Amino acid sequence: MTDASLHKKGKSLLALDARTKKRNAAEARFKGYGIAAIAVSLFFLVALLVTIISNGVPAFTQTYVNVAVTLDAAKLDKNGNRDIDDIKKVSTFGYKPLINAALVDAVAGIETELSDKDVGKILSASAPAVVRDYVIANPDQIGETVAFRLLTSSRVDGYMKGRVVREDLARDKNLDAAHLDLIDVMVGQGSVERVFNWDFVLGADASESRPEQAGIGVSMLGSFFMMLVVLILALPIGVAASIYLEEFAPQNRFTDLIEVNISNLAAVPSIVFGILGLAVFIQFAHLPQSAPIVGGLTLTLMTLPTIVISTRASLKSVPPSIRDAALGVGASKMQAVFHHVLPLAMPGILTGTIIGLAQALGETAPLLLIGMVGYIATNYPDGVASGFLDPNSAMPAQIYEWAKRADPAFYERAWGGIIVLLLFLLTMNLIAIILRRRFERRW
Amino acid sequence: MEDMIQMDRAMSTQQDIKIRANGVQVYYGENHAIKDVSVEIQDKTVTAFIGPSGCGKSTFLRCINRMNDTIDICRVTGDIRIDDEDIYDPRVDPVQLRAKVGMVFQKPNPFPKSIYDNVAYGPKIHGLAASKADLDEIVEKALRRGAIWDEVKDRLHAPGTGLSGGQQQRLCIARAIATEPEVLLMDEPCSALDPIATAQVEELIDELRQNYSVVIVTHSMQQAARVSQRTAFFHLGNLVEYADTDKIFTNPEDPRTESYISGRIG
Repeated sequence: MTDASLHKKGKSLLALDARTKKRNAAEARFKGYGIAAIAVSLFFLVALLVTIISNGVPAFTQTYVNVAVTLDAAKLDKNGNRDIDDIKKVSTFGYKPLINAALVDAVAGIETELSDKDVGKILSASAPAVVRDYVIANPDQIGETVAFRLLTSSRVDGYMKGRVVREDLARDKNLDAAHLDLIDVMVGQGSVERVFNWDFVLGADASESRPEQAGIGVSMLGSFFMMLVVLILALPIGVAASIYLEEFAPQNRFTDLIEVNISNLAAVPSIVFGILGLAVFIQFAHLPQSAPIVGGLTLTLMTLPTIVISTRASLKSVPPSIRDAALGVGASKMQAVFHHVLPLAMPGILTGTIIGLAQALGETAPLLLIGMVGYIATNYPDGVASGFLDPNSAMPAQIYEWAKRADPAFYERAWGGIIVLLLFLLTMNLIAIILRRRFERRW
Repeated sequence: MEDMIQMDRAMSTQQDIKIRANGVQVYYGENHAIKDVSVEIQDKTVTAFIGPSGCGKSTFLRCINRMNDTIDICRVTGDIRIDDEDIYDPRVDPVQLRAKVGMVFQKPNPFPKSIYDNVAYGPKIHGLAASKADLDEIVEKALRRGAIWDEVKDRLHAPGTGLSGGQQQRLCIARAIATEPEVLLMDEPCSALDPIATAQVEELIDELRQNYSVVIVTHSMQQAARVSQRTAFFHLGNLVEYADTDKIFTNPEDPRTESYISGRIG
């Protein structure tokens, strides 16, 4: 009775009615969904990072063996006159026995069923080339015994990193379990070491049989030059186009059509831009194949809509009162735009540009079509021009290449490559954030 | 006889009439916003445009410095002359016109730059200062005339957006007069200000009358009565009545004017 009368007249504020309860429950549910969504995405982010780091970090270290190799004058310089041309005639095959002998010496006294010839399998196939390069650079060292730090083969490296175990080698013709016993002893002697792998960060790709030698450095340069092309072309063209469309162009059918097309272009699959780049830049304009300049041009086409859309959005968000103010004191339209509107829109433009560049940096599909998935083992660009024009790869294409190859050592490289790619991206973003701060602080 | 008329007209142009509008029509697309307005605005006078919202008073004001040019669908016909020069003549560059006809907007809109740069921008783009010292002098003079110098002289390089609303509006007035205009258009300059700031700006408008022809659009009839000498009443795109302010507020001729000022329409 009292309850009913309470409801009739002034409702008590202390008791919630059914409608309010329902509303509050809906609100609480909605908050719950939001938190759940964030939790799920955080879980995936953590899972992604853990996978990338645990799989990729081993690529940044590499196992080496320290061996003292006797550079036998009788074999390396048969004439004995230290003539550099004669020394060069000895190929890497001539060096192999020397290294083998050095290894056999190093493990002398250790009991093993391996033949002397087989002991050499613990080293990378690149080892003779390293020694040969040293001898050609220092011919006066012939006859001496020199300490070398030589790459181990990828399986020995995998064993050191825990990727390869003895059971894996049962049917492996490259390495036997006996080699691993030998390595265990050499680790005990202190002649095996695992050091930071600068060659992975700075070096070039290597052939399928030498994963231990492969690096991402050259394709990083390829990506860098491509990004340079994209930045130099897409930013000014995109910003100029947006300023014209937003501030100067009349509103009519034609500009509407352009607007719709730009929005559609932003949604076109990247492989379409790839085949367009192939047709226009390579088949029609005859630009060099596989060159970063072509990759950059193709990615520019892909990035332009992103930059145009974000630039127009940030121009639109500048309050019209600023334009009025500038025009009111007698600024021309161009002065109003360049002195007042553009600086205010700059942070937004930078954000759009960095999103576009990040997209371009991670793009693989268009590169497949213009041949930027080449095998680049030695072609370190030797200057700015060759950086743009010489055949190169790009980081995502290189990662794709490695992931395709059979040897699990390449799989590790692919993950490592992803870490480098992400660091490259972070650096780019960091620069953009610093620039943004600068622009914002000016007022 | 004809000579007399000619002379008479020349004299009035030189001494009195600054802006002469004749048969002005403004269309926004299909919408006929200003219908055949003819008005003569005197020099060294404050002229107020009053009327209910949407009556076209701001639109007409923006015709005087061709700010309507920036609106694609806006079309202006008729004849507006300043000092007997047709401002819609194809030879007229709106940029030069706007240097001569300054404008202050409804909402204070200082540039997001320093106080100094706000005022110096106009003189800089019009090449009015030969040197840095010149520019300093122009800025100081404009800020003094804008009655804000004493408040900002110690922080000329602080951002203009950091000032209070009333200070910002006076800064905008200082910015408008820094280019030495001859006419000053004000579009509801006090509508975003509190009463104290409004009083300061009104006082300033009264002082500006010494040097400029001031045209002010206002929603407040009291303000029109306080600051203006001549008042024009607009209604639905028509200029209903244009006379001395005293006359409009005490003895209006048109019944619509009377209804508006007595609060029955609007």
